[in-house]
Amino acid sequence: METATSTTALVTGASSGIGKAIALRLAADGFKILVHCNKGLERAEAVRQEILAAGGKAEVVQFDVADKEAIEAALNAYFDAHKDEHLDVLINNAGIHSDTLLGVMTDEAFDSVMKTNAYGAFYLMRWTVRRMLRRRRGSIVNMASLAGQTGNPGQFNYAASKAALIAMTKTLAMEIGSRGIRVNAVAPGFIETEMIQTIPGLEEFKKRIPLGRFGTAQEVAGVVSFLCSKDAAYMTGTTLSVNGGLYPA
Amino acid sequence: MLNQDPVDPSLIQQINDLMASGFEIPPEKLVPSAALKELGLDSLDAVDMLVYIEDKFGIKVEGEKLTSLRTLQDVYNLAAEAVSKSK
Repeated sequence: METATSTTALVTGASSGIGKAIALRLAADGFKILVHCNKGLERAEAVRQEILAAGGKAEVVQFDVADKEAIEAALNAYFDAHKDEHLDVLINNAGIHSDTLLGVMTDEAFDSVMKTNAYGAFYLMRWTVRRMLRRRRGSIVNMASLAGQTGNPGQFNYAASKAALIAMTKTLAMEIGSRGIRVNAVAPGFIETEMIQTIPGLEEFKKRIPLGRFGTAQEVAGVVSFLCSKDAAYMTGTTLSVNGGLYPA
Repeated sequence: MLNQDPVDPSLIQQINDLMASGFEIPPEKLVPSAALKELGLDSLDAVDMLVYIEDKFGIKVEGEKLTSLRTLQDVYNLAAEAVSKSK
């Protein structure tokens, strides 16, 4: 595992759900975790405390991933104050959804989802890559979605943003592979989180899943952990599906 | 077109220091006419170099001009232009 004590992993959207599970798992792997949140400061602090209680290292960083100035201000301030630390892992997990059918989708619904999910990842990858180039190492994992692989009615904006993440992953992997920096994506299917509780007819979806159940956030985190480890040293540009066989890609 | 005004020698020296230390280029090869390609620098090295210049001088280099960089003199000029604009 890439677990040198000086290595730091930024997990965006880490105050709950899959992001929280990833933060806890990477902390257990030995990374110092930057637990990112936007509005959920109390929950992010609770995640930090959970990591510390388990013997890990963590700090909370707060900014809106859709705001590039806020990203640069927060991360520059953090790493200026922690010059012995290097960001070796970036997990672009922060995401929102605003579901409706295209015929009635507002500009705001489209813009806000693209700004957070796609632009946010773009801003963070740009900031990170500029620093990883010099160190010639690093791993980036973009949290895509089954919706980005297959499309999903009612999620025109969300599916587009996640498909964009998959394309960004492939392209950046090609651009910076020569520097030993790996970029991969994970595409979860139906995972037991707050986010899927609002999906109508959820139990019907379960019947279509070959493994017969929804996944857990920990199972997604395990795949992210693998991609950040030396076991995945020869993997870049790929998208790993974690969907119980719902879409065998 | 990149700015062709004479570049501050101290700026040149700092860029040359970076080239020598960061990219392990022998100092004797660091002449203004040296082609970046012949110095073993590819486009990603150019990005790395611009990041260094931005951080070092607290300036913003126009990334769109990256593809126009051919020689070390071009790098000096781009950095000088960015420094000048930041004043």
